[in-house]
Amino acid sequence: MIGRDSIHKIDYTLVIVVTLLVTLGILMIYSAGFDPVEKINNGMFKKQILWFIFGFILMIFISFLNYQYLGDYSLHIYGFIIFILLITTIFGTPIRNTRAWLNLGFFSIQPSEFMKLAFVIVLGKYLEIRERDIKNFRELLIPFVLTLVPVFIVLSQPDFGTAVIFIPILFTMLFVGGADVSHLISIIAIAAIALIVPMILTYREWIGSEGSNIILDFFQDLDALFIVSGIILLLSIATFVLHFFSVKKFLRRIYIPGSVLSIGLISSVFIQKFFKVYQKKRILVFLNPDLDPHGSGYNIIQSKIAIGSGGFFGKGFLQGSQAQLGFLPEKTSDFIFSVVAEEWGFVGSIIIIMLFAIIIFKAIQIAFEAKDKFGALLASGICSIFFFHILINIGMVIGIMPVTGLPLCFVSYGGSNLIMSMIGVGILINIRSKKFVY
Amino acid sequence: MQTSLKARMLEAFRFRMYFFSSVVAFIFFILIIQLINLQIIQGSEYELKSRLNMENYIPIPASRGEIYDRNYSPGGDHKVLVSNRPSFNITMIPANYATGDDLNLIVNRVARLLKIQTEDIREQIKSGTPWERIVLKEDVDFDTIVKIASNQHLFPKIEWEDAPLRVYNTTNIFAHSIGYIGTISREEYASLKKKGYKHYQKIGKTGIERQYDALLRGNDGFIRRIVDVRNRTEGEEVGLRPTAGNNIVLTIDYDVQKAAFDAMTGMNGSAIVLKPATGEVLALVSKPDYDPNMIMSRDNEDFIKELNTDPNRPFLNRTIQSKYPPASTFKLVTAVAGLETEKTYPEKTFYCPGKYTLKGYIDRDFYCYEAHGTVNLYWAIARSCSVYFYQLGYKIGPTSILKYAEYFGLNEKSNIDIPGEISGFIPTKNWKMKVFGQPWFDGDTLNLSIGQGFLTITPIAMANFIAGLVNNGIVYRPHLLKEVRSPDNRIIVQTQAREKIREIPLSPLTLKVVKEGMRLGVTSGTSARLNWLKVPVAGKTGTAQTRSKRKSDATQHGWFVGYAPYNGSVDKAVAVVVMVEYGIAGAVSAVPVAERVFSTLYEKGYFQ
Repeated sequence: MIGRDSIHKIDYTLVIVVTLLVTLGILMIYSAGFDPVEKINNGMFKKQILWFIFGFILMIFISFLNYQYLGDYSLHIYGFIIFILLITTIFGTPIRNTRAWLNLGFFSIQPSEFMKLAFVIVLGKYLEIRERDIKNFRELLIPFVLTLVPVFIVLSQPDFGTAVIFIPILFTMLFVGGADVSHLISIIAIAAIALIVPMILTYREWIGSEGSNIILDFFQDLDALFIVSGIILLLSIATFVLHFFSVKKFLRRIYIPGSVLSIGLISSVFIQKFFKVYQKKRILVFLNPDLDPHGSGYNIIQSKIAIGSGGFFGKGFLQGSQAQLGFLPEKTSDFIFSVVAEEWGFVGSIIIIMLFAIIIFKAIQIAFEAKDKFGALLASGICSIFFFHILINIGMVIGIMPVTGLPLCFVSYGGSNLIMSMIGVGILINIRSKKFVY
Repeated sequence: MQTSLKARMLEAFRFRMYFFSSVVAFIFFILIIQLINLQIIQGSEYELKSRLNMENYIPIPASRGEIYDRNYSPGGDHKVLVSNRPSFNITMIPANYATGDDLNLIVNRVARLLKIQTEDIREQIKSGTPWERIVLKEDVDFDTIVKIASNQHLFPKIEWEDAPLRVYNTTNIFAHSIGYIGTISREEYASLKKKGYKHYQKIGKTGIERQYDALLRGNDGFIRRIVDVRNRTEGEEVGLRPTAGNNIVLTIDYDVQKAAFDAMTGMNGSAIVLKPATGEVLALVSKPDYDPNMIMSRDNEDFIKELNTDPNRPFLNRTIQSKYPPASTFKLVTAVAGLETEKTYPEKTFYCPGKYTLKGYIDRDFYCYEAHGTVNLYWAIARSCSVYFYQLGYKIGPTSILKYAEYFGLNEKSNIDIPGEISGFIPTKNWKMKVFGQPWFDGDTLNLSIGQGFLTITPIAMANFIAGLVNNGIVYRPHLLKEVRSPDNRIIVQTQAREKIREIPLSPLTLKVVKEGMRLGVTSGTSARLNWLKVPVAGKTGTAQTRSKRKSDATQHGWFVGYAPYNGSVDKAVAVVVMVEYGIAGAVSAVPVAERVFSTLYEKGYFQ
């Protein structure tokens, strides 16, 4: 289990960069917790320090644990976390109308964070096993099931942001795992259609539109839309069945786009019907925060003010008016990056981004050089966890992605996310250390 | 075979990893581009927005200028007509209290201390946003502030703000001349915004306060306060110190004003006292009056409503905003017209049997108040014989009479330096045709000659007329401003010079004769009551009637116009015009007021 030459293979770069990031994060949490009027601190940074120490120990421990064992017990781990997740979602005490937390007396944990790791592990193992057949469309069924189970549980907490992140992680791992790209593109196309149509309809209802558009008016009638797409779907299925009997290429060109279009439209009908108006409006507000400057647009507007007013060198530690005077919401978690940008300016923002880039590319390198497929997939999966957190959180905060409550790994306040991330790093270190060990 | 499949899969895997790396790099690139956009390209705009979030500007009110009467002497004993006194309002911001219970506790406590109703406070809280500062009580006494300041633990986040109040020390006496200030209205704000006026500031509404508001108001300063999202103060500094307003010295003499004011107790009407040599106004009284301090007080709604609905119209400044038929005082104009057009000469006599019969389609009788017998011009003026002037006026004709009336500016504004002046009205033949559809009758000329009928003049126009008579045809613009002084009164910023507004070409003989007639009116005429005064006065009474031919049941207004000293130097001359509404006869009502005025003027040494 623990090889003597493992210690020599510890990637110190990763350890140092991660420590730097967390330390910066703690400094920012200290700043965000400071009240300039009463001149006291709310002490959140102390908890973060404790989580970090605990996470650091865990990281070192995991780095000596051969990741193959993770693979061997992947389904057990996955099932266990699903179980904990279910309990939390059903019996957990609601905090801010979300049952995402499990109170263990001294502290609380958020199981959905660990779900991300468990998901990557089990998916990685599956893709390793099915490596040869993954080009088959049928093989994609199980990954989808593996994804949709946690997604639905998390959605019912409800925690929209965390639910969303499973999708890009899935696609990344499928991509790295060798799935047929055209399959992936079709699925993305279906998702795009399913989302764009409700967006346009919601926009028209909310803001109104000049003149009437025959196509859009048709789309507005959900029942008609459902029937028409159902017809297209039936035609596609018919064509698909026909394809079995006479293998003509042009048939494929009918039923593939046909089924993509129809499934997309049918899904859009479901989304339009079953998603709440405020959630749909949220996406529109992201595209244009000024649509709702006092509601959901407020956060992004204040965040951009915080970031922009930081300028090149920033306003200085504890001197960021947006953060200190409370104009920036959620400054210890979702908008922690805005605090960095305001107080340490462009210089600070770039440093954070560079540190993250080092971690991401290091993880890619580890995946590249991993000795087996599972290691590569595991590393890619963990890499994508970090990457999509960074993209969604920083993207949201600078106004190029919609508002979702995703924390920024290593930097945001939050024990579960931090520990999950530290474990992830530990696994990465382990994969790398096994590079030359057979 | 297996290895080549493995090799191909490895190759594909490597390619995909490269692809993924490129996507990652691209996305990092996008993030950096947007950061450059926000922080570097648009950095200054966001900097401005972040300042707007946190900066609150609290005005420091400027001290408004004081107003003195003409006897101001630096360091000496002079009357301060209008001053300011410091006053404080108690304020709070609801969002400063963490819980609803905290807020309730404070509301109850502070209501008890300030002796106000908790419901009123709660209504104020409900009607605004939680971050708005609300005024709990205005003009609190010092003890209350001390109580709050030394018990901050009982009254957390309760603050007081500086809100100085205007005090009109002379209360009713100067109500119309000085005027009062009030909060700027929406219409005023719309047009004055660009001059720097703010919507919460006070502005002069009437009188001197309004006319010279720009000089009096100074410049507010402000405190720049850094606040957090809940409007708590993080720090503050003085952004701009306020500049105090200038002080104003009026031409009015307090004692003369008071004398006229007291003399008119119980009457409605006006009195004007001015110096023909310069146009300085020594007194400007309008009755009924009111106390401007009441308008400034917090619960002034009922008071203002009362004043607005009072049929006596106390807000009206009758010296410049009311016009009346001049009655017999207009005979002086007819006399001037007659002499200048040589339709009469001093010794020419007319016979007055008590009435004059106008021959025409129907004969009409025009009455005199008594039968005077044979009168010359001097006696006609002194005894106010209407029959003389009927005949004279008939000879002169309305056009010439009108001409001389216009020379004296009787239907023009004088541009006195308080707002709201109206101009009088003198009828013309065209006017009568247009309005009544009737031609000008001879009877109209007769009425015009004695100042009855359609014509109406303001008291200030009559005062200017007398000034013109006294000053050999030269009229200076009447004004109340004497000089403007710096806030510490050390420097004279501005002095009001006299401005000539009219020069009427009249022969010296005309002026001498008319003035002699007015003197005769005092020594043995309708103004004889003034004869005992130690200074020689010359004047003319008038009794105006509404357009009714019978004198017995008409309501009558009383006029007196005159000056002193008769035959003295123009520099020492003072003109007096008194007008009493419903005052029976001029001799009865207006002259006693003039008597008080002249005697006060004499005592104060104006004629020495």
